[in-house]
Amino acid sequence: MREPTPTVFVVDDDEAVRNSLRFLLRSVGLPTQTLASATEFLATYPPSQPGCLVLDVRMPAMSGLELQQQLNLRGATLPVIFVTGHGDIPMAVEAMQHGAFDFLQKPFRDQDLIDRIQKALAKDAKTRAALKEHDRIRRRFETLTPREREVLALMTQGKPNKVMAADLGVSQRTVEIHRARVMEKSGAASLAQLVRMVMDLAPEERTGG
Amino acid sequence: MTRVAGAAGPPGPPPPDRDATEPRAPSGALHGRMLQVSRLATIGEMAAGIAHELNQPLTAIANYAQACDRLLGKPGADPRDLRTALREIAAQAVRAGEIIRRVRTLARSQPVERSAADINSVIGEILELMQTDARVHRARLLLELTDGLPQVSIDRVQIQHVILNLVRNGLEALSGSGSAGGEVRICSGRTGGDVEVAVCDNGPGVLPQELERIFDPFFSTKPSGTGLGLAISNTVVRAHGGTLAYRPNRPTGACFYFLLPHETAE
Repeated sequence: MREPTPTVFVVDDDEAVRNSLRFLLRSVGLPTQTLASATEFLATYPPSQPGCLVLDVRMPAMSGLELQQQLNLRGATLPVIFVTGHGDIPMAVEAMQHGAFDFLQKPFRDQDLIDRIQKALAKDAKTRAALKEHDRIRRRFETLTPREREVLALMTQGKPNKVMAADLGVSQRTVEIHRARVMEKSGAASLAQLVRMVMDLAPEERTGG
Repeated sequence: MTRVAGAAGPPGPPPPDRDATEPRAPSGALHGRMLQVSRLATIGEMAAGIAHELNQPLTAIANYAQACDRLLGKPGADPRDLRTALREIAAQAVRAGEIIRRVRTLARSQPVERSAADINSVIGEILELMQTDARVHRARLLLELTDGLPQVSIDRVQIQHVILNLVRNGLEALSGSGSAGGEVRICSGRTGGDVEVAVCDNGPGVLPQELERIFDPFFSTKPSGTGLGLAISNTVVRAHGGTLAYRPNRPTGACFYFLLPHETAE
C-alpha cells in the first residue's frame, strides 16, 4: 500500500487569505488543501492523512484554539502552525501551551512559513513512523503464547536458561525452544534489541492484557 | 458646587452579594442603556477589528507577491498564473483601501442622533460599566461632576464611547505602571462657554516625545494597542464641533479632556 502524499491543510475564514496561501504553497510544490472553517476541516480530515495544519487563530463559530482542542481530544497528532493577526499574541501563547507546533504573525515572510511547514511535515513523518513501528512491534508480540510471554519476561530480566527452567518447572531444552520462538516471532536480532522493543510497549501490551 | 463619589461607595444601600445561580435583577432603565452601549462595539474593540480586517488583504497581497517572485525565478513560468496573482493583488489593495475609507468616515457615516443632553447624566449611564472596568484593573474611579451645566447637543452613545475609551486608556496606563493606589477621575465642568469633560489618571503620563503623535492613527504606546482609540475619539469629538486634547495631570499622570459647545437657544 502506498503512503498518501503529505498535505498542507489551510483553515482560514478569509477567502482571499486562503486562496493566496494555496497559490503560494502550490508555487513551491506543496500539495495544499484549503477549508473555510474548523467544522469543515473536522468533517473532512482523515486522521490517517499525513501533513500539517496552518490554522487561523481568530475565526467565527469555532476558533482555531477550539479546533486545536478538538484535535487534542481526538488524539490527532497533526502538527499545527497558527497564524495570528495584530494583537492576538496572548491567543498564540495559549495555543503554544496546548502543544501548537509554531505560530506566525500575519502578514509573514513566505520563507518563514515554508520553513515552518517543512519542519512540521518532517515532525509529522517522524511521529507517524514511530507510531507505525510501535504498532508493528505490538502486533508481533500479540502472537506470543502465554508461556512464551512468561519466558520473555524472564529473558528481559536477564535470567539464564537454567534459572528460567527452575522458575517455570520445565526442562532447559523446553526453555531453549520457547526462547527461540520469542526471538523468531518478535523479529529481534539480539537480546538487546528485544529489550528495546519491550520498553517501547506499554505494560499491558507486554503482558498481552 | 461639586459632587464627589468614590467607586467603593455608591449612594444607597450596599449591593447584595451576587449569587451565581441567581443573577441580580438589573435596574430597568440603566440596564437598558448599558446594553445599548455594550451592544455597539466600543471604540477599542472597533479599532482592534479594523486592524484585524486590514491584516487580511495585506496578508493576501504579501502571499501573492512572494509567490509571483518565486514563479518568475523558475524557468517556464506560466503567464496566466502570474496574471491571476497580480489581479488578486490589485483586488486586495482595493479592499484594504475600502477598509481605511471606512475608518475615516466612521464618525460621519454613523447615523448621528443628536439631542440636547445633560453631560452628567450621559456619564452616569455608563458609570456601572466603567466601575466594573476599574475593579478589574484594581483602580478607583472618582467622579467630580459640576451641577447646573448647560445642555449639550450630542449623540449620547458616541460621546459615551469616547468617555469609555478615555477611561479604559487611563486604567490601562495605571496597570502598566504596576503601582497600587491607581485612580481615574472623571470631571465635568465649564470652560469659557463650553462644557468640559476631563478624564485624568495618576499613572505615568504621556512622554514629551510622544505628545505630538498620540492622536495619530496607528500610533500606540501599548504593546497590543491598535493606535486607533484616540484617533477615532478625536474624530467623534470634532464631528460634534468640539476639541479633544491632552494636558499633564498634577502631580502626575495624564489628563485627556474634551470641550463641547453648549446648546444655543434658537
